[in-house]
Amino acid sequence: MDDHNEFQMTTSNSTEFTETVGFSGYSDFHTIDWQKDLARDRMRHRYIIKRRQNSLWELIKGAHDALSGWLCVLLVGLVTGCVAGVIDIGASWMTDLKHGICPQAFWLNREQCCWSSNETTFDAGNCSQWVTWSEIIVSAKDGFGAYIVMYFFYIFWALLFSSLAALLVKNFAPYACGSGIPEIKTILSGFIIRGYLGKWTLIIKSVGIILSVSAGLSLGKEGPMVHIASCIGNILSYLFPKYGRNEAKKREILSAAAAAGVSVAFGAPIGGVLFSLEEVSYYFPLKTLWRSFFCALIAAFILRSINPFGNEHSVLFFVEYSKPWIFVELLPFIFLGVMGGCIGTLFIKANIYWCKFRKCSKLGQYPVAEVIIVTLITAVIAFPNPYTRMNTSELIYLLFSQCGISSGDPICDYKRNFTNVNQAIEIAAAGPGVYHAIWLLILAMIVKLIMTIFTFGIKVPCGLFIPSLCLGAIMGRIVGIGMEQLAYNYSKNWIFSGECTQGDDCIQPGLYAMVGAAAVLGGVTRMTVSLVVIMFELTGGVRYIVPLMAAAMASKWVGDALGRQGIYDAHIALNGYPFLDSKDEFQHTTLAGDVMQPKRNEGLAVITQDSLTIDDIEVLLKETEHNGYPVVVSRENQYLVGFVLRKDLNLALANAKRNFDGISGQSLVIFTNTSIVQNLGPAPLKLKKILDLSPITVTDQTPMETVVDMFRKLGLRQILVTHNGRLLGVITKKDVLRHVKQMDNEDPSTILFN
Amino acid sequence: MKRFLMICCIILIQIPYFINAQSYNLYEDKRCKCICPSINAVLNNTDSTERILVIANVGQARCDCDSVILPKYADKIKGKEQEFCPRCECKHENRNTTVIKVVVIIVIWIISLLSIYMLFLNLLEPLLNKRSKQNYQEHLDEDDASSMHQDPNAHNLPMVNVNASRSNVLNRVTNQQDKWKRQVQEQRQRIYDRHSMLN
Repeated sequence: MDDHNEFQMTTSNSTEFTETVGFSGYSDFHTIDWQKDLARDRMRHRYIIKRRQNSLWELIKGAHDALSGWLCVLLVGLVTGCVAGVIDIGASWMTDLKHGICPQAFWLNREQCCWSSNETTFDAGNCSQWVTWSEIIVSAKDGFGAYIVMYFFYIFWALLFSSLAALLVKNFAPYACGSGIPEIKTILSGFIIRGYLGKWTLIIKSVGIILSVSAGLSLGKEGPMVHIASCIGNILSYLFPKYGRNEAKKREILSAAAAAGVSVAFGAPIGGVLFSLEEVSYYFPLKTLWRSFFCALIAAFILRSINPFGNEHSVLFFVEYSKPWIFVELLPFIFLGVMGGCIGTLFIKANIYWCKFRKCSKLGQYPVAEVIIVTLITAVIAFPNPYTRMNTSELIYLLFSQCGISSGDPICDYKRNFTNVNQAIEIAAAGPGVYHAIWLLILAMIVKLIMTIFTFGIKVPCGLFIPSLCLGAIMGRIVGIGMEQLAYNYSKNWIFSGECTQGDDCIQPGLYAMVGAAAVLGGVTRMTVSLVVIMFELTGGVRYIVPLMAAAMASKWVGDALGRQGIYDAHIALNGYPFLDSKDEFQHTTLAGDVMQPKRNEGLAVITQDSLTIDDIEVLLKETEHNGYPVVVSRENQYLVGFVLRKDLNLALANAKRNFDGISGQSLVIFTNTSIVQNLGPAPLKLKKILDLSPITVTDQTPMETVVDMFRKLGLRQILVTHNGRLLGVITKKDVLRHVKQMDNEDPSTILFN
Repeated sequence: MKRFLMICCIILIQIPYFINAQSYNLYEDKRCKCICPSINAVLNNTDSTERILVIANVGQARCDCDSVILPKYADKIKGKEQEFCPRCECKHENRNTTVIKVVVIIVIWIISLLSIYMLFLNLLEPLLNKRSKQNYQEHLDEDDASSMHQDPNAHNLPMVNVNASRSNVLNRVTNQQDKWKRQVQEQRQRIYDRHSMLN
């Protein structure tokens, strides 16, 4: 019965206070108390089980409750798949709008417009149905005038799309800018950012990412897709009170949603689950693993049925490989990994430096102007080079794929003769087209690297998976072509003689591109397992796991040696989000007594268990701003009784004043069971119900190592510090974060916290 | 009300596109795309970069050289089919033009709706507000005050007004809108002014 009452009280609490503290009972920019929230859920669960025997209706309600987790992730998967389909189709259409239009059916992009046209030329995929802007204006496809018109329209559309994206973000949902993964990581670690996963963020982020990808900026939609999926998870969790009203439980749904986000971004469901586990999630029980798996599966299935690219896959750059690789190639793969680590670290350092500059200088005051300038520069530089002019996903696809008969790009300009029937493709000397393409690709790589440094962090939705994949793919392809020509020219050499028999195509530059892409992405994000699985799901070939693993590992080693943090951790640190990284180790010898508040000579705000009046407590609440107060036996004997939260105290006092007669400012507030016989004065107010009798306590001699570990692993909000059983002070998560920063010689005041 | 009118306008603008779309039925939803080297490659064994592209509307099972290329070029490569065909690459592709059409039109709609609403908020509303503030100075002040305090019961209080229910709904909508605007303003300050987040 006691359970029952308490459960009802907590629910009524949350309904009454939704206006000020939200459904879950936490204010904006506060950390959640995992232990308490999970305990609350277990209590609710026990209550439902107890009621289940009462009637059939209660039984159905119990079943619904048990099912609601799966139901919720099912819905999240469905909606995520649909939204991803809309984004993919919209972005591919709008990207081609920069070049021309399909007048007969304006909603088709170039590829779709020339769907059933036999006259498709191989160079640019143009056909008579597809009309370029130059054809409309100067009625010419080639020539100087046409080039100028195309150039102009390319820049015009890019500027239009990006400025629209920046304005929409600024006017409707400023939270929609950026990639969102650092913030999602922080939220999943137990932080509240109101509105970050809201309706408007979802809409603006979806529309904004379509616009900014179409603008040809050096960014991708994969990171924002994780944010979009998390928004969907958050919004849909409100349909199920079990998750909507309990922040700790809601994070289980958000973890699953993040998995679905990567799943649709790369068409890699397992990679998505592992990404959620390795990179974003903080609290990831097995139950969440299975739900993430299911959610990712549903999302991938839905996107696959929408078939946005017409290739039966959910990403544009899906390629299928089956050729074996030879052992010697492991060396260039590791070299690619090392290079990937270097490029990744260089990118992180430069990007963080630029973001710091933006944060502190006047540049930060002109977000829209910055977006427009970056777009203008990108468009002006990108258009003359065919490899930067094309959509980045298309470029990645081109670099990943093998040269066959169907590929007409200069990068496949080999001196091949198609005389041998059994081997359509064989190793051959590179033609002039290949060398020309290599120069263009090197230029493209430099441009992309520099532009991405300036682009990641501007105030439009932007992710960096695609740019880093692209950088790596270019690097890998160039190394691959080099290896291929080496094998062709020195096929008699002992290195190649075993596997590369005469004319056999034993080296595939496409595979190198893929390994390079994995290496740079690994260097930037410091992912390993999930990265390899994502890449392997992209190719559908199990035999390339070892090269990918070698590259990812080398890249992580080199990256970690050059700079400690991945890009997301670096951005978390830059913004000062309260994120206690479970990867870091706390290696200092401080004690709990040094960190706790208050310091030795200040007073501690406590509540005594049976000697304060309502007025006293109200004064205390007014004078201090703590989120909770320890309750002690008496001022003289500060033996700990329990811990009471500020919001509970506020609520209980307001309730008592409204509902009970005879309660006045002079009534005593009693946190004990024993009722003191007291005839004079107004009736006492018993508040034992709101008292947490089992607060986590440590002694003042506990090493901070242990305390930090407790905060990390138990997800605590505060710890009480005692000495000889008497209360000395409190350590909150904020104190811990500050202390960690201070010990690392960083400015502790930058932490974002209320 | 204003939003509703706006939506109506947009629908009217978009209707011609829909009619146009209905009457258009030229594009197929599946194709088989075959690419082969030049026929010269098998006939006189000379190297040539010219290639043949054939797109046919056949099912997945029949998407190969035998049923797509040979009927078209049978006379040219007589007897050399077995040599020519292995060099061709055939790929079957599927799409759904209806889905593409609907999605693209939805995207255009959402973007134009948002842009118009943005223009409205930035250009028209300050003007309208100025005018209505002159007329209903007191009323608006009172409204502002109540929403500032975030009193959850504000709209449940008995209204003195005769058509209370209507103004109640309207109030609630404006309250919600004000609340949302305040939230966006807060986010904007946090990101653009104080730079405390998302840099």
